[in-house]
Amino acid sequence: MSILQARAITKQFGGLLALSAVELTIAAGEFVAVIGPNGAGKSTLLNILTGLLMPDGGQVLFDGKDITRLATHKRVRSGLGRTFQHGRTFARLTVLENVMIGAAIRGDRTERAIRDAALAVLDQMGLAAEANESIGSLSYGRRRMVELCRALACEPRVLLLDEPAAGLNSGEVDQLVDRLTELRARQQLTIVLIEHNMGMVMRLAERIAVLNFGRKIADGPPAQVQADPAVLSAYLGHGYNRASV
Amino acid sequence: MRVPFLITAVIVSAGVLLSLVLPDYHLRLLNLSVVSAIAVIGLNFAFGYAGLISLGHAAFVGMGAYGLAILTTRMGWSPWRAMLVATTATAAFAGLIGLPLLRLKGHYLALATLGLNVSFYIVAANWIDLTGGTNGISRIPELTIAGRAIAGERPFLWFGLAVLAAITIVAFMIHTSRYGRAMIAVRDDETAAAMSGIDVTMTKIAAFVLSAVCAAIAGCLFACHVRFVAPEDFSYAHSITYLAMLIVGGESTIVGAILGAAVLTFLPEWLRFLGSAYLAFFGLMMLAILVFLPSGIAGLGRYLPRLRSPTRAAPASVSAKELGP
Repeated sequence: MSILQARAITKQFGGLLALSAVELTIAAGEFVAVIGPNGAGKSTLLNILTGLLMPDGGQVLFDGKDITRLATHKRVRSGLGRTFQHGRTFARLTVLENVMIGAAIRGDRTERAIRDAALAVLDQMGLAAEANESIGSLSYGRRRMVELCRALACEPRVLLLDEPAAGLNSGEVDQLVDRLTELRARQQLTIVLIEHNMGMVMRLAERIAVLNFGRKIADGPPAQVQADPAVLSAYLGHGYNRASV
Repeated sequence: MRVPFLITAVIVSAGVLLSLVLPDYHLRLLNLSVVSAIAVIGLNFAFGYAGLISLGHAAFVGMGAYGLAILTTRMGWSPWRAMLVATTATAAFAGLIGLPLLRLKGHYLALATLGLNVSFYIVAANWIDLTGGTNGISRIPELTIAGRAIAGERPFLWFGLAVLAAITIVAFMIHTSRYGRAMIAVRDDETAAAMSGIDVTMTKIAAFVLSAVCAAIAGCLFACHVRFVAPEDFSYAHSITYLAMLIVGGESTIVGAILGAAVLTFLPEWLRFLGSAYLAFFGLMMLAILVFLPSGIAGLGRYLPRLRSPTRAAPASVSAKELGP
């Protein structure tokens, strides 16, 4: 049963065709990585899935419902969470308050319940000690973890992660992989990961979709995608492809 | 919740103390400070929290004041009832105009709100049948409590301080609620706010309406205090003054809004010896504050770490305990 589906998504920026009839189906509970060279359209696809951009053609289905025209905050409230490529936190709020923004998504929660829910997420992700710090005093890696906590506090069913490992050192990447693995084990969370760090992708993804110049060129289990000539060609150039095949 | 009450108590007691020692003329300035403070607390919602640069705040003050003046003098309503209706009407207007206006950002929004203020002035000065034109509306009745008029500077100041205290506490409650945090989040990063489930448009409109409500209440108090309104009292120059008060006091703080209102109301008085050089001084002072003290007078609070650390440390230790092992 697919929980999130992109149907023939097309998006044009002026003369540039950013996405061309892209299909992506995510099953509930799945861990899918979307990879591709810079400018392949990965972030554009994520922006369309989350409603920050409107597609020129195609549909986005969530839980079987058409959400193509639904406002971003309503998608989030119905269970679609996301982090951003460069990490976006609220600079004038503390770590705890940042996460409380996410925890306030449930309208029936009292201030105390919002606080407790946010603290629980911070605790789970190993940030409890920094709860009352200001965002500015954290390292870039920690800030990105705060952003992930905020997204988790929204209690998403599908979590979209846009290059979560970018700018992180190898220790932080390992920690992130552990946390994501834990999260998947603990709760029924569907994750879509955009990432350039292939080590991380290979450790986590059950399926990989590859975008290149706005088209999906491969979609399948990691081993299959790794050996796909079209993928090798996209990443390493045609010369490599000819020489190896 | 203890800190806001403490701050409110300090402000009110300072006001009451001053009311017992100051001469009448200074009491009048103090009254104007209180009225401005209420308006600036309002502006703090729109500008300080949600980041909506409004140069039309005086128009909302004017709508409250004119609404009360017209309903009391033309229709013979009681000032209380008129205040309620004028404030509600101003809020409704802010909500309606906010829908198209708040689609604009940054300096476009600043210019559009400035235009709103100029339009308000033109309407107030030219719709003579309703507003009395540039002659304004006089003989506005005083507010009464249990049959006794709140007349004279001192009783009005006590009443004004009570209203200011109530509004300060409500503002603190909003600030520390999910709604206050949502406003701050919207100013910091709209996209991330939407991606955290915040309805950005509604949050902006709510901040704008809240700011208009405070402005209208300030306008009603102004009308009942001065008992005369004219278009000049609500020109865009006053909007700029409100903004200056917020920046001098410390934007996005409630205490700053109150301090800024008081300082900028008394400043011309304190600097009377400068004569017409006052405006030059004022400009340089604003420049100095923006460069050297961007967080305003309230920002000086961070240089008092010993005073603040006990209240700051307490919640931190509580939350650490809550987490437990």
